[in-house]
Amino acid sequence: MSKHLKIALVDDDIPNTEILRDFLIRNGYSHVDKYHDGETFLNSLDRFDERAVVLDFDLSGGGEINGLEVLEALKERSPQTHVIFFSGQDSLEVAVESLKNGADDYIVKSNAAFALVKTSLDKVYDLQILRSNERRNQRISWSLALGWLVTLVGVAIFVAN
Amino acid sequence: MEIIDRLSAGDPEKKKYYIRLFLDTLEPELVNLRSADTGSDQEPIRAILHKLKSQVQTIGAADAHAMMSAHEQTIKSGGGISQAELDATCDRLSTLIQNLQDLLK
Repeated sequence: MSKHLKIALVDDDIPNTEILRDFLIRNGYSHVDKYHDGETFLNSLDRFDERAVVLDFDLSGGGEINGLEVLEALKERSPQTHVIFFSGQDSLEVAVESLKNGADDYIVKSNAAFALVKTSLDKVYDLQILRSNERRNQRISWSLALGWLVTLVGVAIFVAN
Repeated sequence: MEIIDRLSAGDPEKKKYYIRLFLDTLEPELVNLRSADTGSDQEPIRAILHKLKSQVQTIGAADAHAMMSAHEQTIKSGGGISQAELDATCDRLSTLIQNLQDLLK
């Protein structure tokens, strides 16, 4: 089953990004974009409609800004976007800083990391479905309430006449 | 290479494609590491080690990953690595590259 969640991978590690992208596509995520530096990713924000970003901390192989700076700029412009920090930095300081700045998860690169990224994205996907259902239920509730109101007004007019 | 086998899902062409991707990064970085100077600022060495450690981990070379992580940590904490340690890292990386090249034959 194809999961409709637009994902951006931002990492200067070209082979691992390519493999992670293939892995996610094989696991049902049909729309996965990749960027190898923070600047290109941020420049794409105008046409950005991804709902989840997997973001590396050390982007020095690609550009001048690091993942925390990308996170800050992203959250200013698109606060509802989910961000999963995916870093080779096994550093509590970086992890805390990223979570304080709005990251939803922090995953250290390891042998099991691709599966952990997928699990984290699955949660984002489930949340997206839940919110979509909530919005739909809310619309149905409003429609029902409006229907009752129209009926009551109709009855009131009928009784008055 | 078990991890690459798993990630390429048994597709031999995909596996070769991934190996070439790794070689495209590892080969030039080995040249950079060989020419690095341990006598001056080691930040460029740290940056290369940081970049390579994730890749050698994906390839499944746990010992090379441990070696690079340890050296990266040493440099990051203000210490330095010796020329002998750098040479040993380059030799390990060179063997790894050779193994990957053999898989393409």
